[in-house]
Amino acid sequence: MSTPIRFALIGNPNCGKTSLFNRLTGARAKVANYPGVTVERRSGMVTGLTKPAELLDLPGTYSLFVTSPDEQVARDVILGKLAGERRPDLLIAVIDACNLRLGLRLVMELKSLNRPMILALNQMDEAKRRGISINTAALSQAIGIPIIETVAVNSQGVAELRTTLDGYAQQSATPAGEQTLTLSDRQESVEALYAEIESIISQHVIQPAHLPRWQDRLDSLVMHPLLGLVVLFSILLVIFQAVFAWASPVVDLIDAAFSGLGSVIGAILPDGILKDFLVDGLIAGVGGVLVFLPQIIILFFFILVLEDTGYLTRAAFLLDRPMRGLGLSGRSFIPLLSSFACAVPGIMATRTIADPRERFITIMVAPLMTCSARLPVYALIIAAFIPEQTVWGFFNLQGLTLFALYFAGVASAALIAWIMRRRTSGREEFPLLLELPTYRWPMAYHLLMGLRERAWIFIRRVGTIILALSIVLWFLATFPGAPADATLPAIDYSFAGQLGHFMQPLFAPLGFNWQMCIALIPAMGAREVAVSALATVYAVGEESIDVALGSALAASWSLPVAYAYLAWFVYAPQCISTIAVVKRETNSAKATTFFTIYLFALAYFAAWATYQIASAIVS
Amino acid sequence: MNTALASEALIPALRLDQCRKGAHVRVTGLIAQPLFGTQDERVSLRLKELGFLPGAPLKVIGFGLLGSDPLAVQVNGTKFALRRAEAAKICVELVVVSTAL
Ligand SMILES: Nc1nc2c(ncn2[C@@H]2O[C@H](COP(=O)(O)OP(=O)(O)OP(=O)(O)O)[C@@H](O)[C@H]2O)c(=O)[nH]1
Ligand SMILES: [Mg+2]
Repeated sequence: MSTPIRFALIGNPNCGKTSLFNRLTGARAKVANYPGVTVERRSGMVTGLTKPAELLDLPGTYSLFVTSPDEQVARDVILGKLAGERRPDLLIAVIDACNLRLGLRLVMELKSLNRPMILALNQMDEAKRRGISINTAALSQAIGIPIIETVAVNSQGVAELRTTLDGYAQQSATPAGEQTLTLSDRQESVEALYAEIESIISQHVIQPAHLPRWQDRLDSLVMHPLLGLVVLFSILLVIFQAVFAWASPVVDLIDAAFSGLGSVIGAILPDGILKDFLVDGLIAGVGGVLVFLPQIIILFFFILVLEDTGYLTRAAFLLDRPMRGLGLSGRSFIPLLSSFACAVPGIMATRTIADPRERFITIMVAPLMTCSARLPVYALIIAAFIPEQTVWGFFNLQGLTLFALYFAGVASAALIAWIMRRRTSGREEFPLLLELPTYRWPMAYHLLMGLRERAWIFIRRVGTIILALSIVLWFLATFPGAPADATLPAIDYSFAGQLGHFMQPLFAPLGFNWQMCIALIPAMGAREVAVSALATVYAVGEESIDVALGSALAASWSLPVAYAYLAWFVYAPQCISTIAVVKRETNSAKATTFFTIYLFALAYFAAWATYQIASAIVS
Repeated sequence: MNTALASEALIPALRLDQCRKGAHVRVTGLIAQPLFGTQDERVSLRLKELGFLPGAPLKVIGFGLLGSDPLAVQVNGTKFALRRAEAAKICVELVVVSTAL
């Protein structure tokens, strides 16, 4: 009969709401050191209570007078304005103890809603380290709200918070359908509110005047107009080097293991359909993708480190001005950077952008940032066609090619954003107002959890969608068998062969053969499947059971074709989930259609131009 | 709220966007910025909410590459990146200057 009571975490961006949420519910929501990590409401059940209780994690906001879509989500949930949502029964306001004024200001604003509220004074460890001393009992008295000191990163105080929540959980939830709160117009001026806060702080808090010295020193280097850019580009280059050079021994190892497995099974099993299925369908298809796990792990290792240190907002600061010329801003930097992992969270992260026009442009170009799912495709083709050489002393030629592909995506995004911006002029400006969080040493725990999560996601994809598509493709490539009077290889008569031959004329100007055409279709589901599709098609087509896909490609594709295929993948096949998230975030069928068509057209054109130019040069 | 608090009439007010790197200043008031058009009020409100209020001590930390834009300032122990457009809304007075101005 009883709906569980509902708590909600609310507070400034980056104060540690999600860290607390994870502690209280056992969830593994994303935590990182920049404002605007959480952009959606997320719910979980608090563990270890005597009665069930639901907890909501919300995007951070500085104020209930919101300026961007993510802040809007937080406000709407608090006020009970989200359709079909009960408003929370208790607010857990989270304050960063090192950033008391900003936090308290929001709390004062929340207080005027007259809702039950408790306060979690988070990051107490950091505050103590900086010599901030807070008389919590007196502070609690002064603002009239119970306060619990917490350290979300090592669960200090979390037990106490849980006990307190247990007390509230005994009460019954507010019945659904109770009317929503309305935010009255500002009654008190900001000045008056701050005057009050100032007097409270001066009585109960002792704060040192300065931030730690090393933070300022580091800032004067990484935010230096010139040196800062040098630092930024060095970091990027190291990442690309690492993805190729460090991963390759492990990649080779996994590759050898799968080939070995293939030959062992090939030797044990009698010839026949089962052997073909296991060797050509499963091992070639799944193994072909799984070998790229080390590269994906290395890429995410760097992304996670950058996210956890607090560096990202500094990079956004440096790039704000150049990006502004393109209709973007420093605020679009983090969504675009996230798109290198996957465009879906990247597009979601655009909710932190206040300017609707800029948000639209960011969404439109986000998929041009090479997502990690494209990495296997690039890596496969690069390894097959680009010699492993060292140029200019220490750069790995394959690593440089990869860099060039990523760069092509970024440069095209810049061009397209610029064109889109040109179409609108004379509009109002929007402020940047970006908080630069304090630097933190990346936490090993976060890194490990983050990497485990990413590895899991990848393996799960391989085990589900990629496996399923590989099996389907193997069937399509095997049946129907060749007629008795066959003159061509058997696969040409299969469904996949027929489909490939049917599509091929459309892609002939791009130089694609029919095997490549087939791989384009499942790649719409998940881009990595292009690799397993090629592996299956070539493995079925070959007589030998050698699954070295790279050499098969090198033997059957010319160099211009390989380049054209890479060019296609720089732009196109946005996977279905990207299109779906664009639809949801823009809420416009027109924008989604435009998005899909323009990227396809661009991919076709780019592959065509690459093929023609490369052919002309080669011949 | 009343945004034109600055005593423009008396002395030509110094604005945050005119300050040098390393300058320590104190906010004296916020003025209108036509670039923001109809949402200027909103921007003023947000600036105040973030602590850019008369009396607040600021420190200019650094500038971006092109046209010294954006700029980073520290207010009440928190660092923010502002564009020149926002910074030009903030009137300040010098407190201590680390280098010659
Ligand atoms: N030292 C310390 N760091 C903390 C504590 N709580 C959170 N952090 C760090 O603060 C940063 C932000 O934490 P999040 O939990 O993502 O903050 P959030 O409030 O959810 O942020 P948004 O979703 O961006 O609004 C991360 O780098 C955390 O590791 C704490 O108690 N002590
Ligand atoms: Mg969060």
